[in-house]
Amino acid sequence: MLTIHQPKAGSASQTIRALLLIAQVLFFAAGASAQNLPDVTAMSVEDLMNVQVTSVSKRSQKLADAAAAIFVITQEDIRRSGATSIPEALRMVPGLQVARIDENKWAITSRGFNGRFANKLLVLIDGRSVYTPLFSGVYWNIQDVMLEDVDRIEVIRGPGATLWGANAVNGVINIITKPAQSTQSALAAAGGGTETLGSGSVRYGGRVNKSTYYRAYAKYFNVAESIDPSTGRSAYDNWDAVRGGFRTDWTPAGADSLTLQGDIHRSGYGETLNVPSLDAPYASTFPNKGSLSGGNLLGRWNHAFANSSTSLQMYYDQTNITEDSLFTDHEHIFDIDFQHTFHASGSQEVVWGLGYRSSHDANDSSFTVSLQPSQLTLNLFSAFAQDEISLLDKRLRITVGSKFEHNGFTGFEVEPNTRLLWTITRNQSVWTAVSRAVRTPALTEEGLRLNSATIPPGTPQNPTPFPTLLSVFGSRQFKSEDLLAYEAGYRMQVTSNFSADIAVFYNHYTHLRSAEPGTPFVETSPTPVHIVAPFVAENKMGGGTYGTELFADWRVLPKWRLLSSYSYLQMDIRKDLSSLDPSADNPGLVSPRHQFYVRSSIDLPKHFEHDLDVRYTDRLPGVNIPSYYSVDTRFGWRPRGGPEFSVGSQNLLNRRHLEFLPDFINTSPTEVKRTFYGSVTWRFE
Amino acid sequence: MRPLRLLITIAIVISLSFGFEAQAQDSSVSSEYLIKAGFIYNFANLVQWPSNTFAQPNSPIVIGILGEDPFGTILDRVLEGKKVNGRVFLVKRLKSALDLKECHIVFVSSSEMAHLAEAIHLVKGMPILTIGEIPGFAKRGGIINLVLEDNKVHFEVNVEAAKEADLNISSRLLALARIVQEPAADGRKTE
Repeated sequence: MLTIHQPKAGSASQTIRALLLIAQVLFFAAGASAQNLPDVTAMSVEDLMNVQVTSVSKRSQKLADAAAAIFVITQEDIRRSGATSIPEALRMVPGLQVARIDENKWAITSRGFNGRFANKLLVLIDGRSVYTPLFSGVYWNIQDVMLEDVDRIEVIRGPGATLWGANAVNGVINIITKPAQSTQSALAAAGGGTETLGSGSVRYGGRVNKSTYYRAYAKYFNVAESIDPSTGRSAYDNWDAVRGGFRTDWTPAGADSLTLQGDIHRSGYGETLNVPSLDAPYASTFPNKGSLSGGNLLGRWNHAFANSSTSLQMYYDQTNITEDSLFTDHEHIFDIDFQHTFHASGSQEVVWGLGYRSSHDANDSSFTVSLQPSQLTLNLFSAFAQDEISLLDKRLRITVGSKFEHNGFTGFEVEPNTRLLWTITRNQSVWTAVSRAVRTPALTEEGLRLNSATIPPGTPQNPTPFPTLLSVFGSRQFKSEDLLAYEAGYRMQVTSNFSADIAVFYNHYTHLRSAEPGTPFVETSPTPVHIVAPFVAENKMGGGTYGTELFADWRVLPKWRLLSSYSYLQMDIRKDLSSLDPSADNPGLVSPRHQFYVRSSIDLPKHFEHDLDVRYTDRLPGVNIPSYYSVDTRFGWRPRGGPEFSVGSQNLLNRRHLEFLPDFINTSPTEVKRTFYGSVTWRFE
Repeated sequence: MRPLRLLITIAIVISLSFGFEAQAQDSSVSSEYLIKAGFIYNFANLVQWPSNTFAQPNSPIVIGILGEDPFGTILDRVLEGKKVNGRVFLVKRLKSALDLKECHIVFVSSSEMAHLAEAIHLVKGMPILTIGEIPGFAKRGGIINLVLEDNKVHFEVNVEAAKEADLNISSRLLALARIVQEPAADGRKTE
């Protein structure tokens, strides 16, 4: 925690006095009594410069300022959660539903509509969208960062379309890594356990000169396969990944700062796959493999003028996805974004921006999954402007703005919002917002054919002599899904030890995706001759969802912190009268109505620490998953000057439970089981 | 059954952990601002204001906090009863940029990032020590910028800006500082 350099001058007694003071500061940092604030005025500038400080949480700062339901996961939150992946770190966010399908697949959403291919959440890593145009969602098994280098993860529940554009419908997740000057030490970490068999990561940070800093990292992990609950045998859902990257930050003279960063990654995973076939027994189940690789390079230039600032960002991102027996896809994305912030007058701050994105997709099909056309380039043009007006001595802030986009599938889209934040007192604020967001069609919704099952001939459902394929089709007529969202929230800092936050929302959706049965037809290729019963993507669902999310942060004692949250979600999504979609109303049945979360973080004597996470997830009737509690616990030891040790267990109480089921692609789900892990982290100054 | 087991687990963990710590205390502030308060005291000590700045030999040194106050009560408590050259400290939370002129030291909080040029312009040429914690603060005309690097507080000094403000910064302080300059032309043309 603390490094004391050799004092340059001064008598022994001065040195001792300085050491005592430093010890006091550290004691204070660990939560010592407020009455005995250490006398920092007796410390010299040299002494002060040598004290390691705990940085103030960005949470409170952000919270006070945003007219949106925002939650910030800090680096300390990540460290103390024992999370080894982004999805695990997201489990603490109120209102998010994070569910594991198997060891390498996740279903994550905000405010409903969950699934492996959930499509209403936008995720960015250092300003780079990691959302795939393939299904308008996120491949969570591709996204990873060096968790130790994460500065914070900002999660906005509710639409963020005015700033971030189409597809920021139900939420936005911003993963933000530290600038290179904040990661100037070397770090090595190694861990292992019953689930993640082994993991290792190294990072080195250095500086070229006074204004140029860099870091580079590499990491690897290997996750064990688990048991298929339906067979009792291996589900072959192992996963291993290797990843490396760098970041440089250069602040030449003046008001410029430049960032260049990039990553490359490669991983392999397994699964148990079930696909239909046209010959008896009309389906087969087998161990399957997939591989993922790619890389990205991002540059950003910020420039501050006297009364305004600009930012120019460009990136290139390439992703290669191969799921054996199903699909191969190569995505190339180029994105350029410009933003300008200025003060129109003393009370008005205007932000506007322009963006262009080109995405190129090339794919290879299989009998089960095919996508037309096999090559496609899409262009997206966007512009936005937003004005924040401060009134009443900045206690009332009104934000109005809109995004304007043009995409290759649906043409122009407009996504306006208006937000109001009223700071009632220094410790209390309320906000409210009305916004429109759209989810534009994904490649699959326009050109997919997915053969999901075969009904054997001569059965009650299919009395014909031909096998009948149930197939899902995309459609060129598929339109954008629309959301009109009404939100409000209240925040209070009751005492310096207790803060709370409440958000409520009502979302009204129209033109949600439905699967409408089409006219069956006969297909002769591939043989044998078979009937196809098509289900075509249309926009014949809609309805409302409403809910609330509560969050409280209570420092019970200086060394004991309790975080707790509760979220409630009610969905009333129905088919339009003209819809013939055979599936049930209410995709809400795959989102829990109630969720709660409590984390206790305790600093024990002798640099030990203890964390306990308790989560409750209500049942998911749509996938027949009962409610469950999950308890994670962690013990850490951070001896001064030595490495940091951590041991823990996830899902300590129940032996195992399912969290979710796959959709569209029929892979075997596996249960989350009780696991144990240990890790050690060295930091070298 | 399950919730019960859960409650018992929690109860055991809590009781184990708290055998040793029973007093209720306030303050959950980070040590970052405690250290920054120490810096501010030292700066007051190592910077010389022009002789006519203070009305009387015992006039207080007025510190204004511009923007959201990150210190809570820390700064007040650290400086309480402390004197520099016979002057006590007076900490004010500034309601508007116009109150800047009554201060000897102005701490510009990071919440003022967007209004920086305005604030710097207002105090330009006056004997006011501006202290910021915003990237580029000193380069944009602020006098001292506190910078977090590897969780340690460092500081940058814009010597030109200090000269313009007629403030004399001790060489002892400058020796520890990172000296920065404003860019030549652009970025300085206000309005």
